[in-house]
Amino acid sequence: MAAFAKNQWYVAAYSDEIGRELLGRTILGEPIVFYRAEGDGAVVALADRCVHRRFPLSESRLDGDTIVCGYHGFTYDTTGACVYVPGQKRIPRTARVGAYPVVEQDTLVWVWIGDAEPADAKTIPRAPHLGDPAWTTVRGMEPIDADYGLLVDNLLDLSHETYLHGGYIGTPEVAETPISTEVDEGAAIVRVSRHMDDAACPPFYAKSTGIEGRISRWQDIEYFAPCLYLLHSRIVPVGAPPPGPDGEDSHAFHTEITYAITPSAEGKVYDFWAVSRDFAVDDEEVTEFLHAFNHKVVMQDVDALNLLQKVLADEPEGYQELSINIDTGGLAARRILARLAG
Amino acid sequence: MSGQSAEVYRIDWVPGSDLLHGVCHCGAEHLASDPIAMWEWMLAHPLGHEGSQGIQGSSQQSSTEISPQITAGESSSDGRHA
Ligand code: FES
Ligand SMILES: [Fe+2]
Ligand SMILES: [Zn+2]
Repeated sequence: MAAFAKNQWYVAAYSDEIGRELLGRTILGEPIVFYRAEGDGAVVALADRCVHRRFPLSESRLDGDTIVCGYHGFTYDTTGACVYVPGQKRIPRTARVGAYPVVEQDTLVWVWIGDAEPADAKTIPRAPHLGDPAWTTVRGMEPIDADYGLLVDNLLDLSHETYLHGGYIGTPEVAETPISTEVDEGAAIVRVSRHMDDAACPPFYAKSTGIEGRISRWQDIEYFAPCLYLLHSRIVPVGAPPPGPDGEDSHAFHTEITYAITPSAEGKVYDFWAVSRDFAVDDEEVTEFLHAFNHKVVMQDVDALNLLQKVLADEPEGYQELSINIDTGGLAARRILARLAG
Repeated sequence: MSGQSAEVYRIDWVPGSDLLHGVCHCGAEHLASDPIAMWEWMLAHPLGHEGSQGIQGSSQQSSTEISPQITAGESSSDGRHA
C-alpha cells in the first residue's frame, strides 16, 4: 500500500460544501470537522474528537461560532480551545482540540496535514479554471474503498479509457498513441502527454461540442503530487490548425479535468472530480449532459478500483506486477509519492 | 505553484516503436525497452551516464538518429509491488 505523505496540503472539500452545517471528513487517518465561521466566513477545521470521551464533534451542533459537543456539552471555539465544560468553573488546561491550517483557493478547501509548520500557501498548486466565470464546471466527489495509490495509477495512465471507458470517453486511439513523460523531481510534478492527431470522437466530446467527424485530441496531464491532478484536454476537428505562436487557440474546445486525490484512511480515498469547459458555457443541456455522463465514467473507475482493492487484499505480500510503456508516468508518480512519504 | 526545478527527466515513447527514449537532467540519453529499466538508468545518475550518446549541449539529433545501447533483456520488467 502507498504510504501517506504527511506535511502536505490536501483538498478536504469544495468551498460550497462548507457552511453552517458541521462536515466531518477523515484525511490521512485524521478525523476533522469543518464549518464556516459566522463573522468572517473563514473555514474552521478542528480535530473531530471531543477531548472528554471522544464523541465526534461533527455529530454535534454549532452555537454561534462554537461547537457544543453532542454528548456532555464541552464547548470549543474556532481555535479549538475549550471555553465551557458542564457543571464547573475550572476548565482543564489540556481541554483543547487541534486546529488545522486551512487555505481556500480556486473553490477548493485545502488543509495542512502534518506536524511541521505549514508550507507557504503559495506552494499550493492552482486550478484557476474552477473559479473562473469564463469556464463552466460540473463536479462531484466519490469516496472509494481503495488505496489512494490505485487512483494515482488509474489517472496517470489514461490508456485504460479505451477499455474501462470504451463508448464513453475511450476510443482505440487512446491506448494506441505513444506518450511523453516528464518528471520535475524538485517540484514533484509528473507530466504525461498524449497527442492524438486523428482519432474517433467519443460521445463525451461529440455530444458536448457537436463535432461529428474525427478529431485531433490532446491530453496533457499535470500531476502535482500528492493531491492535485489536472488533465488539459484540447479537441479540434481533424485538420484544424494547432494553437498559434502566441498561444491563440480560440478555435479549439478546451476541457480542464481536475481531480483531487485525498487519502482518507488506509485503503480509502476521496475522489474529487471536476470537468470545466470553455465552450457552450451557458448551455444548460451541455452542463447536465457532462455532469451525468462524467459521473458515469467516474463510477466505472470507482467500481473497478473497489474491485481491484478487494482482490489485492487477498494477494500475498509482494505480489508481482508487470509494467509496460503505458506505465511510465504512473511509475514516476509512485516513486515521487514514496519519496514524499519519506 | 512551484516553478520548474533544475532536476527534470524526460521519457518519450518513440513513435512507431516499442522503445522508450530517455533524457536525464544532465542531458545524457538512453534507450530502453521498458519503463522500469528506464527509471533504473535515470535514477542511477551519474552512474553509467557518461557512456551515453548524444550528450550535453548537442542533443539536437532526433531520437531515431541516436544509437545508444538498448537495455538488454526483459529481465527487469517485472516489479514487486510493496
Ligand atoms: S464526549 Fe464530548 S462532552 Fe463528553
Ligand atoms: Fe478512468
Ligand atoms: Zn544523468
